[in-house]
Amino acid sequence: MQAASESQPSGPKPQPTGEVLIEAKGLCKSFGPVVAVDQVSFQVRRGELVGFLGPNGAGKSTTMRMLTGYLNPDGGEAVLGGIPASKVEARRILGYLPEHTPLHREMRVDRFLGLVATLRGMRGAPRKDAMARVLDSCDLAGYETRRIHTLSKGYRQRVGLAQALISDPDVLVLDEPTSGLDPREIVRVRDLVARLARDKTVLVSTHVLPEVEDVCQRVLIIAGGRLVADGTPEALAGSVGKRLVLEVNGAGDSARLAETLLALDGVEEVAQVASLRGGELRLEVRVCDPLLVLEPLRTVLLESGATLLELRHELPTLEQVFMEHTAGVRETQP
Amino acid sequence: MRQVLAITGRELRAAFESPVAYATILIFVLVSAGLFYLVGMPIGGMPLPSLWEGGEASLVVLLAWMPLSLGLLVPALCMGSWTEERRAGTEELFLTFPLRASQLVLGKFLAHTVIVSLLLLLTVLPIAWTVETLGDLDRGTALVGLLGAMLLGAAYVSLALLVSACATDPLVAFLLSALLLLGLWLVRMVVELFPADLAESIDGLTPGAHFMGSAVRGVLDGGDVLYGLTLICAALLLNTWVVEGRRER
Repeated sequence: MQAASESQPSGPKPQPTGEVLIEAKGLCKSFGPVVAVDQVSFQVRRGELVGFLGPNGAGKSTTMRMLTGYLNPDGGEAVLGGIPASKVEARRILGYLPEHTPLHREMRVDRFLGLVATLRGMRGAPRKDAMARVLDSCDLAGYETRRIHTLSKGYRQRVGLAQALISDPDVLVLDEPTSGLDPREIVRVRDLVARLARDKTVLVSTHVLPEVEDVCQRVLIIAGGRLVADGTPEALAGSVGKRLVLEVNGAGDSARLAETLLALDGVEEVAQVASLRGGELRLEVRVCDPLLVLEPLRTVLLESGATLLELRHELPTLEQVFMEHTAGVRETQP
Repeated sequence: MRQVLAITGRELRAAFESPVAYATILIFVLVSAGLFYLVGMPIGGMPLPSLWEGGEASLVVLLAWMPLSLGLLVPALCMGSWTEERRAGTEELFLTFPLRASQLVLGKFLAHTVIVSLLLLLTVLPIAWTVETLGDLDRGTALVGLLGAMLLGAAYVSLALLVSACATDPLVAFLLSALLLLGLWLVRMVVELFPADLAESIDGLTPGAHFMGSAVRGVLDGGDVLYGLTLICAALLLNTWVVEGRRER
């Protein structure tokens, strides 16, 4: 499947209703001769938690940098809450955690968060309350006076999240917030993001696919600078070929059985895989519609005299969706 | 303005939390004093004797060193200001805040100007006090000289910050801005080789000439002050433009 050459991303789109808070309108960005982002368009509405996936160098960070106003697009427009992201006013509703969590590491946690709060225009009691709120929500209580460079990576990540949350922004853009964290921290960050998403609009990029599957209502996949998929994890999984997995004993000539199956209506591909249940033969059968194939398949098996050990309808994991959509796409960034 | 002062506060705190700042200040104060008391100003068309040799109750010798010594000190103080921000990635963070690049530039400029002014106070005041005890120091002249040196320092800061914003790492920033500032100082030394008209116009472009022409001798010259302020504004505008231009990479 040549996903990258498609003009329209595949997968049915969900139909959320809130106002559009993040909008990419035909975003393009090149660095010298390298096209990093090419005509990327999507909208994220209030209350949505959207996962942004793509291989390294696919243009995820560049897209996020345009959406947060750090980079101006060469073409198209990035819009936050109806205002172009290049405008100062647009960035008032934004909380952003860039990749690699840049922080002033020589600063104390409380002073750094205080600086960010002031720079975001907060003062007086609301500023103090906001600091107390993020110290609490990011589990940083007791670490206020620590210098950031003395913290572990997990805690630095919490400080990064805390600065993104300090102004209680409507829109959160998090660039790989879990990269390099240990499993316990990953779960913590994921839970925090899921909790935040209840009343915020969150765009989160990640490599950890199960995380997206668990918490995101919607997934965008970018590859080679182009948006190649946009939909709910289930819908995207459905858009990739469905598979029946069967394992049998006593089927006789395995090659002949595979051929017979391939000849059935609706069967696209038959592949032999390693046995899992101790049977003689395990096959993966790629089909358009499992229900249509089921009856003819049963007949074939009966005729061959095989004993069925396992028959399963397998939905592809997000990982497979990801691989399928990003296969064969060139890297765009050096 | 609160945002600008927040940036200034952060830069000042960062500077004074590092031992490097104290060491730099100490070295500058000691070296300046040594030059004033013992060496004099042997470089240039009109060599000036040291305090012990000449016995003149003025700060001219001390101030005459400033275009050169600040030309080395200011690049050292400012070299990391933007380059470190970029290396740490915090520039990206700042540029996604609801801030204008000019606020960042102004905040950094104020912080470093405060540091340099403080340094000049620490250098000039003890020496002025000594001279006053030994002889008859004209306080007005000394004050104008000090303020002139602060304006010179501010102009140097604006140029060094601009270089730091353009450079890729602190060392490159230091070398380039030292080259620029010392180059501007050196121009005054070699300018005599040119025909008189040309020499005068080239000399008139350097900050050192405007400082040495008036403030050092206690003359408060409107034109020279205006020159200093114009240079600072131009450098800060260019700096803003460079930082804002990062979005267009």
